[in-house]
Amino acid sequence: MATDDFTDDLTRNTANAPQELVTRAFFFVCAALSVVTTVSIIVLLVTEAAKFFSLTAPLFGVTGETASIVDFLTGTTWEINNGKFGVLALVSATLMITIGSAVIAIPLGVATAIYLSEYASQDARAVLKPALEILAGIPTVVYGFFALIYITPAIKTVLPETGTFNLAAASVVVGIMIIPMVASISEDAMSAVPDELRQAGYGMGATKFDVSTGIVVPAALSGIFSSFILALSRAIGETMAVTVAAGSQANFLNPLDPTAYLEGALPMTAAMIKLLLSDITGGGVAYRSLFAIGLTLFVITLAMNVISDIIARRYREEY
Amino acid sequence: MATDTKTAVEGFGQVSRTVGAVFRYVLLAATLVGIVALTVLLVFVANDAVRPLTADPGWHLTFFGTLVVPTLGLGGYLAVRDPESLWIGGMTVGLAVVSLLFAGGVAMIFVDIVTPVVWFAYVVALAAPSALVVGLHRSSVEPPYLLRLAVGVVAYYVSLLGLPGPVGGLAGVPQVVPSLANAVQSLPVLPVDWMLLLVSFSVLPAAVLAAYARSVAGGRAGLLVGVVALAVVALAALAGPAIGITTVPAVVLASVVVLPTAGYVGGVAATRPERRVGLLLPAVVVGGTLLGAVVVEAAGFAGPQSWVDWQFLTSAHSRNAVDAGLYPAIGGSILLMVTVALLSFPLGVGAAVYLEEYAPDNRLTRFIDVNISNLAGVPSVVYGLLGLGVFVRYLGSPSGTVLVGGATLALLILPIVIISSREAIRSVPDDMRQASYGMGATRWQTVKNVVLPRSFPGILTGTILALGRAIGETAPLIMIGAPDVLFSLPTELSSKVSAMPLQVFAWASLYAGPDFYEKAVPAGVVVLVTVLLAMNSIAIVLRNRYQSEQ
Repeated sequence: MATDDFTDDLTRNTANAPQELVTRAFFFVCAALSVVTTVSIIVLLVTEAAKFFSLTAPLFGVTGETASIVDFLTGTTWEINNGKFGVLALVSATLMITIGSAVIAIPLGVATAIYLSEYASQDARAVLKPALEILAGIPTVVYGFFALIYITPAIKTVLPETGTFNLAAASVVVGIMIIPMVASISEDAMSAVPDELRQAGYGMGATKFDVSTGIVVPAALSGIFSSFILALSRAIGETMAVTVAAGSQANFLNPLDPTAYLEGALPMTAAMIKLLLSDITGGGVAYRSLFAIGLTLFVITLAMNVISDIIARRYREEY
Repeated sequence: MATDTKTAVEGFGQVSRTVGAVFRYVLLAATLVGIVALTVLLVFVANDAVRPLTADPGWHLTFFGTLVVPTLGLGGYLAVRDPESLWIGGMTVGLAVVSLLFAGGVAMIFVDIVTPVVWFAYVVALAAPSALVVGLHRSSVEPPYLLRLAVGVVAYYVSLLGLPGPVGGLAGVPQVVPSLANAVQSLPVLPVDWMLLLVSFSVLPAAVLAAYARSVAGGRAGLLVGVVALAVVALAALAGPAIGITTVPAVVLASVVVLPTAGYVGGVAATRPERRVGLLLPAVVVGGTLLGAVVVEAAGFAGPQSWVDWQFLTSAHSRNAVDAGLYPAIGGSILLMVTVALLSFPLGVGAAVYLEEYAPDNRLTRFIDVNISNLAGVPSVVYGLLGLGVFVRYLGSPSGTVLVGGATLALLILPIVIISSREAIRSVPDDMRQASYGMGATRWQTVKNVVLPRSFPGILTGTILALGRAIGETAPLIMIGAPDVLFSLPTELSSKVSAMPLQVFAWASLYAGPDFYEKAVPAGVVVLVTVLLAMNSIAIVLRNRYQSEQ
């Protein structure tokens, strides 16, 4: 009998034991929660935004004020009190913040990545990498305050026509904030370049400069580009720094005009915060416009994340 | 032909070094731009908040003489002679400072949010069913797993919520059996607050110390250390009032600051006697500070008129910038952080375990995978909209509460927790899993006994960094309707909550004006950044240790 018990124990199918099934189910539910989150975000944004547009609002039985989807997407005036919901005024400000921060973060981030991956000693990396992480760890509202109190006055001393709220100062801090993102993803891509390629370069008599710029950077180009897109999508979604420093008046500006950066404008995210802080009645058109902006923002950032992923995958040099 | 060869030979080997050198230094400069810019801004804001120049020159001179010179002297000496012990000394000072910050938060919880009686009651209510579950697990009868699971769930439910509890409440059945938590609270005779904390809170650090001592010097030493640790806490509670610290903060201070620091110092002294000299550094820092304080007091030198002072840390918002304080916002941030950690840690680690250990390689898994990396890129305002639209409008929770804020922030950091936990789990060598399976362990046993313990430091690091992100978030809290000014501490999951960054934002934009720009905002920024830097440094130290062990 004793032997029988023993065999039974050894041959028991443990994969379907209740304990295994219960724990497995728990872990699966945890992982599935992320899908639930995404679905809720999409359903929520789409339905609420649909209630905002006059085209789709009747489907949800919404009566009262709505906005035309064409006016929303092509209008350049954002004045809620006058019923003008032209999202381009907000998009132009967001675009300018993105361009401004890209001008700062892309060159600095790539240079940082090359330095960390090719030049820095082990000790230097041990100090520089955590320091860079801290750049990304400072709360964005603190960056907004820095822009408003220290950077704007500094810009004003050079260019006196700068407004108290302006896009330039906001772009500078957003740029500083996203440097670590460009740097760390680009550096990962550069570190993944096999050492044989570098050695081959040195063997041909190339200098370290030649190897870095002629071999490592081109080989890691797909990773570097995907880091740009991810960082810029972060800049687009950046909220508190631009809310504090960029201004509160929606202003349709030309992103290609450098002097426009000295004016204040209202990026999409800041517009959402402003809407929330003003007394919007729940269920009103202003409340629903919040979700229309949110949907625009979500679509833009999601598209950028997907594009970055595709670039990283498709154009990766395989070794 | 000959001339051709000659020119080629002449050109060979003539590489300009200037380009390379210039390039190198340009790269280094570019790397430092961001870091230096942030440092300068932080120095500016710290200067505005602490105002060191308002102190007497004598005050600066005194501390320069008693604190700065000896510390630098000893530090320099150690750096040359024995860098390892300098590191140990620095760690001790850092540990004391960080644990002091942490103790402030914990003391705030026990003084103003959860009274020691309630805490004790819930500890008992959690411990009793846990003991039952462990007992069943170890009993010789070995009841089937599902029975144990059911008994465990029922035991926790009754112990925490009573019978029939909220489920019965929904059906209109009145409470018959009070929960153990409530029963303990309504006991006619309870020990005083500090004794309750001693048995329900201080035992944890004491047990950790005892376990550590046992691993170093055997069972007897472990027992001794545990008893001494508890005695120290009790002594602190008795002696605290004499020097102006009430009993509850004294117990917290002893458990959170004294015990870990003493444990670290004792551990170094016992296991690495050759590095003992490093322990002089904390002694010099503490001694210099005390000596300086005594001299300054005696000579009557005035310290800096800092905006970050006791008044700022312990009072609520005021329309008058000088009287404004951060207390309710600090409490709110602490409560939010606890809620976020409790929600996101199990869910995030669970998802990471599923994806790394269980998931079959199919479409669903790949979809979840892509989905998580995209969720990590969704802007925080959109999560705020999710909180507003789903939790507040759809589920009808009251807006701006601790629970709604915590749940929203937990969803926000969940992708980050999952991604970093996956990395930590992936770094567990596969040989260890195979060895575990080879011993006949099931998948869950392998996860529980091999994968999770091994990857725990990495998971913890990622979670701390993610919590740092959550504590700095403002936009989602505004979205869910958290009030920008709050005059009392939130005490329940359903109370309205404010948070440090939200308060800073309110001062910087809603109460905008030179008064707040010069006083309250810089002070708030300094407190917020200090907390974040402390969290980041814990994470970095943990990661370094963990990486060097591997």
